[in-house]
Amino acid sequence: MGDYVWFHDVSWHASYAVYFFVIGILAGLSFMSYGSWITPALRPLREKAAYGSLGLLALGGLLLIADLSQPLRFLNILNPAYLNFTSPLAWGALNILAFGVASVMYIMALQKGDEARGRLLALVTALLALGLPVYTGFDLTVHQSRPVWNSPIIPVLFVAMAIASGSAVGSLLAMGNEEAQKVLRQYMLWSAGAVAVMLVSVMGTTNYGGSASELTFMIMTTGTMGLLFVGVGFLAGSVAPAVLLFAPMGKSQGVLMISAVLILVGGAALRYVLLMAPQQLQTLF
Amino acid sequence: MSEELRVSPIETRGVAGKRRFAMVVDTRRCIGCMACQVACKAEYDTPLGVNRTWVPYKVVGKYPNVKKQFLPRLCNHCDDAPCVRNCPVEATFKVEDGGFILQRYERCIGCRSCMAACPYNARFMLPSHRTYTPITNVVDKCTFCFHRVTQNLVPACVQTCIGRSRVFGDINDPNSEVSYLVAKNATQVLRPEEGTKPHVFYIGADRNATEFGRDAYRQPEVMELERSAFKRNFKI
Repeated sequence: MGDYVWFHDVSWHASYAVYFFVIGILAGLSFMSYGSWITPALRPLREKAAYGSLGLLALGGLLLIADLSQPLRFLNILNPAYLNFTSPLAWGALNILAFGVASVMYIMALQKGDEARGRLLALVTALLALGLPVYTGFDLTVHQSRPVWNSPIIPVLFVAMAIASGSAVGSLLAMGNEEAQKVLRQYMLWSAGAVAVMLVSVMGTTNYGGSASELTFMIMTTGTMGLLFVGVGFLAGSVAPAVLLFAPMGKSQGVLMISAVLILVGGAALRYVLLMAPQQLQTLF
Repeated sequence: MSEELRVSPIETRGVAGKRRFAMVVDTRRCIGCMACQVACKAEYDTPLGVNRTWVPYKVVGKYPNVKKQFLPRLCNHCDDAPCVRNCPVEATFKVEDGGFILQRYERCIGCRSCMAACPYNARFMLPSHRTYTPITNVVDKCTFCFHRVTQNLVPACVQTCIGRSRVFGDINDPNSEVSYLVAKNATQVLRPEEGTKPHVFYIGADRNATEFGRDAYRQPEVMELERSAFKRNFKI
């Protein structure tokens, strides 16, 4: 005490990290469902991914609403008289709504067996799904006073993590289907590699930043946060799966499953640390 | 950054015909009596554990040459406020005549985006139970005592400051005391690099007083221990 310490709470707690995780998986699944129209090998995933994506949207939506301290006022964010378009949250709310509507229409088209309509709606749903990790990334990026968050790479990183998480869940869903696994292996390998490269970039720029960045780097790389970020997120969740999948044994079913699980666990840890560490420092200002 | 540089249309500093209220805190005059904090608590019934204004201190120097350095803190009523930009429902807004950054409690959804956006930690969440007011579970902050200023009174913290450390007025008025103090003294604002153009000016607050404290270098686990010890008696 006695060193200008005044304990402020962090604004966003762990439930928000869970929301990021869920939204990443559902966006990735939506990409997989659209991918099934382009790549025949992914055909077995089409319905599973579409249903999974909509189910996770319901879960994510509930998480988001429950996280508000005034949950019943969530409709305010959809009120045109209140909407503030300089806030990424406003764009995000509209994106979630549009994605939900498009997903329901897409599933209805799938149930009717309407191929032309289904293909078009799959594209629309995938494009709207792309907006979900992008908006959650911007949600952090716009906060100019937060090291790590205030970086243009964050939305791109979130998209890469969504592809990695989505293809990992896809791989678990398509267990035993060799053709699908061959394609999903490529998705997981390159997206996990891209995440690892971006994390190196994030750590590098943070470590070479100003005093706030330097302190955030310390929080992210030491203690429990360090274990989660460097150990679980970076090494176990990004580097290890990329290496495993790249190696000659990477095509075996067992390695694919292990990599998928590692990517999911790492993705959850990364989202938690990326959300919490910059906030932890800010509580001390 | 030049005081005259305006990059956002929301900024009202130096705009003719508009008032722009500001506060000058002369840290050389602050004696750390915390009367400002108490006056603010009394004015707004601010709950335990959260504050609209607070006075942290730092012990500087080495024995026997030591002193307590106080840095009164509050919302900086920024000219280009990130909280206003980030509120998805315009619950946080800027009053054009005066530059107050205020909160519409009935509209706030409690997403805490404004809290994340504020570089000064000036915003906080009100607890779910309060004694005298039904305003709960929404984000709150200093209002520069909007209700008093519009009645030609100064904010409660300024009124009560025994050392006249806090001075309040219209910085767009060249004859006001705050204009004079800002013109005649070397002043500093908190985190100017964030581009928020804060309107709380400090006299006598040097770099050592305004940067992240050395406590920030501790392990997060140690900080968490201290935080929980500090908050043990403040269950809100």
